[in-house]
Amino acid sequence: MKRTFIQFQSLLQHSLMVEKANPERWLSPLLFAITVLLLFAFAFGQVEPQFIPQLLTAATYLTVFFSLQIAFSRILEPDTQDRVFEQLRSYPLSPIAWFLSKYVLVFLLGTSILLPTLIFANLFLNEGGPSLLSVPIFVIAWVALFGLCALGVLLSTMMLRSQAKQILYPLLYFPLTAPVLIAAVEGSRAHMVSGASLQNLMSNWLGLLVISGIIYFTLSLLLFGELIKPE
Amino acid sequence: MSDTVQHDRRHTLFGILCFLLLAVGWLWALRFTPSDEHQGEVYRIIYVHVPSAFTAFSSAGILCLFSLWTLLGRNSTAGLWAKAAAEVGLIFTLITLATGSIWGRPTWGVWWTWDARLTTTFVLALLYAGYLIFYSSMAPGSQRDRVAAALGIIIAINVPIIYKSVTWWRTLHQPPSIVREGGSTMAPEMLATLLLCLVSSLCVAAWMLVLRAYNLKLQQKLEQLVP
Repeated sequence: MKRTFIQFQSLLQHSLMVEKANPERWLSPLLFAITVLLLFAFAFGQVEPQFIPQLLTAATYLTVFFSLQIAFSRILEPDTQDRVFEQLRSYPLSPIAWFLSKYVLVFLLGTSILLPTLIFANLFLNEGGPSLLSVPIFVIAWVALFGLCALGVLLSTMMLRSQAKQILYPLLYFPLTAPVLIAAVEGSRAHMVSGASLQNLMSNWLGLLVISGIIYFTLSLLLFGELIKPE
Repeated sequence: MSDTVQHDRRHTLFGILCFLLLAVGWLWALRFTPSDEHQGEVYRIIYVHVPSAFTAFSSAGILCLFSLWTLLGRNSTAGLWAKAAAEVGLIFTLITLATGSIWGRPTWGVWWTWDARLTTTFVLALLYAGYLIFYSSMAPGSQRDRVAAALGIIIAINVPIIYKSVTWWRTLHQPPSIVREGGSTMAPEMLATLLLCLVSSLCVAAWMLVLRAYNLKLQQKLEQLVP
């Protein structure tokens, strides 16, 4: 257990150092998110006030999902470049430590994309509607991120040896995350339109997000070890 | 007589029986079941649509079982069965979407709407297709079997969400009328015909699954022979 924790710490430190040394790796998805939000703002034009919450939440979460997909798909690139998978034959790492270090890294990266996207979406797309910047919306977005990150790491690992990962990653990522996207959009809209509290949302949309998050996290943790085994 | 010829004969016989059962079910549905009080004759597509949907969802369960067997039993043949299940699942999901669309036109007035059940069933079709593309994109070996098995398990997790979507989300699609609290709302003669169609659909799917898995095994043997 202690060994796993030490491995987790050093793997996370190493991953954070790699991200710090290559800021374009996490800055490019963020810039992409801002660009998509601008495009949405141009495409929507003048929106009737009653449609703002629906469009705002849908456009924001879609933007976040697109940007996260870019960030997630690159998460194992440094490990591939450093030939970590070949080194595993001589020095086996704990799959749990490896998965958790990648998971925490993508969660931090995801948060660094999610928070500015929410702020910019509120700035670009929200003209007089209820604000997107509230604690319940942040909670819903974070809970959605909790499940998405696990799935992101798992899919990224799956695609390592695939010959068509650029096409396959989004092809699998978007259908698999559709329930999370729908629940996040509907939950946020329910809060913005009817002022539903987190307790109320817990019995439907937020509950669905929590359940899918737990399922995706547990599955990813269990399956990760199988995926990184050498041939 | 060789084993292969005997196997082929048994399989052909099983196929003929399955399609006969399906034909009897459809004939019964068209000729001997009463019309629906509200939908008239249009509702009869239910005898293709519901069994296809059930078979498509069951295929995901089969995919999950064979995927688990691949991971836990280290069995490469189980991986082939899982691929065959995904192919059968995709065919039945497409039939479900097509028949649902044909049914939707006269009842809802549209061929397609972004309703929860329709969207999640479409998502299932995309996932089956994604699984098959993913399987083809990897080099044969234990690595491919393991990764595809992991994906198969995740796809199967999506199925309960699809089934429950009608009760969770606001939807045009009718709520469950067969398996529900307080018993089925269908007339017994309609329900009996539907169950007959359901059994025949599952038999056809089983026949397709065995045939495809057998073909995949032969293909694997051939690939091993040719360097």
